[in-house]
Amino acid sequence: MMQFTEFSNPISLHQTTIMNRIKPWPGFPTPTSSTLSSSSSLNINHNFTDANCMEQLLVHCAQAIENNDATPAQQILWVLNNIAPPDGDTNQRLTSAFLRALILRAARTPACKFLLNSTTTATLSNHGLNIHKFSLLDLANFVHLTPWHQFGFTAANSVILEAIEGRSRVHIVDLSVTHCMQIPTLIDSIATRYQGRRQPPPTVTLTVGAFTQQVGQVTTQVLPPMFDIVSYDDLAVKLMNFARSKGVALEFKAVPTTPSDGFASVLDEVRRRQHQTRFVFSNHHQEELEEEVLIVNCQMALHYLNHTAAEVAAAVVVEELSMRSMFLKALRNLNPTMVVVVEEDVDFTSKNLVGRVKSALNYFWIPFDTVDTFLTRESKQREWYEADIYWKIENVISHEGDQRVERQEPRTRWARRMVEAEFQVVGFTAGEAVAEVKAMLEEHATGWGLKKEEEDLVLTWKGHNVVFATAFTPSY
Amino acid sequence: MPADLDDSSSPKTTMSNTTAVSGEAASNSVISTGDQSEPLKPPLKKKRNQPGMPDPDAEVIVLSPKTLMATNRFVCEICNKGFQRDQNLQLHRRGHNLPWKLRQRSSKEVKKRVYVCPEVSCVHHDPSRALGDLTGIKKHYSRKHGEKKWKCEKCSKKYAVQSDWKAHIKICGTREYKCDCGTLFSRRDSFITHRAFCDALAEESARNQPLNNGNKNTTKMEIDSKTSITATAIASPPPPPPPQLPPTLPPVPPVLQQQQLPPPSPLPAPRKSPPPAPPTTMVASILPIQSSVQGLPENPIPVLEDVLPPPPPPPVAVVVTAGLNVSSSVSSSSCSSSSGANTSSSVFATLFASSSATPPSLPSSHPNPGFSDFIQTMTRHECPPPELPQHGPTEPISLCLSSSHGSSIFGPAGPERRQYAPPPQPAMSATALLQKAAQMGANGGSLLRGLGLVSSTSSTGPSESLQWTSRQIEPDHSSPVQSSLGLGLPCDEGSGLKELMIGNSSMFGPKQPTLDFLGLGMAAGGSPNGGLSALITSMGNGLDVAAAAAASFRGTEFSGKDTGRNS
Repeated sequence: MMQFTEFSNPISLHQTTIMNRIKPWPGFPTPTSSTLSSSSSLNINHNFTDANCMEQLLVHCAQAIENNDATPAQQILWVLNNIAPPDGDTNQRLTSAFLRALILRAARTPACKFLLNSTTTATLSNHGLNIHKFSLLDLANFVHLTPWHQFGFTAANSVILEAIEGRSRVHIVDLSVTHCMQIPTLIDSIATRYQGRRQPPPTVTLTVGAFTQQVGQVTTQVLPPMFDIVSYDDLAVKLMNFARSKGVALEFKAVPTTPSDGFASVLDEVRRRQHQTRFVFSNHHQEELEEEVLIVNCQMALHYLNHTAAEVAAAVVVEELSMRSMFLKALRNLNPTMVVVVEEDVDFTSKNLVGRVKSALNYFWIPFDTVDTFLTRESKQREWYEADIYWKIENVISHEGDQRVERQEPRTRWARRMVEAEFQVVGFTAGEAVAEVKAMLEEHATGWGLKKEEEDLVLTWKGHNVVFATAFTPSY
Repeated sequence: MPADLDDSSSPKTTMSNTTAVSGEAASNSVISTGDQSEPLKPPLKKKRNQPGMPDPDAEVIVLSPKTLMATNRFVCEICNKGFQRDQNLQLHRRGHNLPWKLRQRSSKEVKKRVYVCPEVSCVHHDPSRALGDLTGIKKHYSRKHGEKKWKCEKCSKKYAVQSDWKAHIKICGTREYKCDCGTLFSRRDSFITHRAFCDALAEESARNQPLNNGNKNTTKMEIDSKTSITATAIASPPPPPPPQLPPTLPPVPPVLQQQQLPPPSPLPAPRKSPPPAPPTTMVASILPIQSSVQGLPENPIPVLEDVLPPPPPPPVAVVVTAGLNVSSSVSSSSCSSSSGANTSSSVFATLFASSSATPPSLPSSHPNPGFSDFIQTMTRHECPPPELPQHGPTEPISLCLSSSHGSSIFGPAGPERRQYAPPPQPAMSATALLQKAAQMGANGGSLLRGLGLVSSTSSTGPSESLQWTSRQIEPDHSSPVQSSLGLGLPCDEGSGLKELMIGNSSMFGPKQPTLDFLGLGMAAGGSPNGGLSALITSMGNGLDVAAAAAASFRGTEFSGKDTGRNS
């Protein structure tokens, strides 16, 4: 404690604002968190000072870099470099990720460019980013390590199941970063639901947006988690084989797409299919054939759409012209039966670097903290998991413009956007989703929780919002 | 207001808890009935409204957390053994042949007691929600408000109450799902997902396919190792193309038909090409049931997309390539630290030019043999054998500046990288080596020149990207070297950083040698070579620690890791 006071003196300029905020922080010695946190009680105090001073240093460093103030930036980077090894405790790992991102940021700032000297490069190499390329089975394991993705899967599966009840033809559009990892459980729950019924399960047409980037002839993945051999045909064969074994008729189509054009290829594909099925219907006079139900499942995908509009001629930024809003409107025009939106409940849209550093710190401690509860420091899986978080932190902090793709928005703002695009919220809480999610959470560490906010479900870690799940239908 | 639906910390093994509690109750009730006058309910059932106050006349006991959790309130004066209940102590005293006294059961004087949770915010803090027995409230308190210190080694679940943990240990691993490939899963969702992508299923289907009428693909899930649920995929008759089309619609517009049937070319459609050429990937379908059940079996006309029904469907797909990152090829070094974003590759290129990519054989004609050996050792270590190019980021030579504890977590830490070349001059101790280095360094950066020289000869990357390498060409270098090392902590800057660093080093103590470095760097900061001497000191530190590793420079890290593991 003594050290902490001494330590924080020199940077008291902004200290008050920082200290006044009550912040969620791992290792904060409150009764609940100290009991839950895996760190031994011995170093709770240590953690406390650690986390706070590290955060202050990071914020100040970001400020210095923003002000083109190279000397303090350099000094703080140096200090951080020494207190935050990338394989330390959770706080140190978190700080190390930010340190890395800040160094990269500094390297892009003219005044701070010289910071990219041997020290920082050494740091960078120590903190090197090694995005793992998952095999199919590894990825299947990986997404189930924590409820981070699984929460959205489980919640979405149960509302989708309700939405398609009684329909015989379903078109599901899957926009997800996890390469169809949700689909097996969806198929399984459809199969289970129709088990023993006279009515067969619906025919499912699945259109999957494959997040890729075309550079010349080479198609690359752009977002973690990544595949080792990226072949959606292998994936497709397996999924269809699985569906067959479950007695569900599945038609699979992967469409390479990118958020930079607003998933245009996926929208086109849906339009094409709608046109075709409508054509069929108009030529067919039997009344019993119903129209295909369209379900759009967006799992952590929409925040990659830019929320700012390209500047119009007069440099007037019109929010409605942003890729994000335009996509939602285009989606609305397809008249989907249901749109499921699962997103990380955090705000990274600030233009201000320091603001983003703060929100990122207040959010990304969570993944580092969660893996610490069940994976050892040397664990490979932890390494992979954290590397993906490193990637995100780097993206939020050191990139700008089109390269900055991690543009999460809080739940309320998504809800507003959806309403603006003429959608309305569907209650998530009435059906079986709550029970399903709770059962799923029981299989994970005790820090995970479920919260109901308005009509939506929110996954929490030690009481802090992590991911929300919400569902919409057209409002008219 | 958000309603908290979280109930995840309630015991998952309710059944076994119950038995554990009542078992304890049974043994106690031999002597004492005071606490056990009502049959124990599982105190922590999920329905919270159950444990209400059973008897309004009961005496409400409020214990402080300390008293509540005290295990030994009643201590034997002979052997100091502690007991939770006086009754038990009395029984124990009997063994010492001490006078003992048990309270006699007397229906009159026994007043029922209920206990409330000491945690003010807890529902059970309210007397109307008090729990009926001491054990129950203790367990409740531990579970809900206590530390979970019992951890299952198998699945890492943690428990606050030892009996919960024991109950879990008994059943852990028995409730699991087993894929045909032999992998076990404790969670259904993981199992399902694995199952879908596992080759075992594909093989099984392949086996079943020829007899396609064989009606079932079974998936076995073993639960509790006795019940075996069989999920049977409903019989799928040999797929006649199912009629999703109205029978009255034989002619399909040729245009559509063409759209429907993508050319079986595996080439990806260009991303930019919009509608008319649909981003074709995979169209194939399986239609097991529809035809038979849909009641339109008389319709023989296939749906367009269903032209290829015989399973397994031939995939006509876009192959989203790119197993390997672009950036690593850019950075022209043998290290594998690749960044997802291409933009960072330049950074890494400079980064690794400094350290890695050392040709296996070094020019041994270095002016200073001792030092070059020293460097050789380093570089030998630094350079992974060519067949292991993808192993972790290579540590740069400048590592002495960065935290010496801990290699990158992203490094493989595999044994193959930990092969240290034996010190070329075993006789030369680390201290001697250090002295030598210090002598060199004393005279204004010759140490760095040595370092720089070696790193320039050894580096195949663009050496100009590394500052020290280029410095080394110029004869005069003492102060630039200093700043390029990032050691130039200008004291006149006056700012808090100075204190800050001091604070740090004292705060983190000697367990992090780099912090000594910081402190020393500060101390020496006045002299132009301050950074340099600090550098040397730091090396000395490291080397002292790593005395066993003798001349192996990276010994610091190595030993640090080892101790970390042992402690």
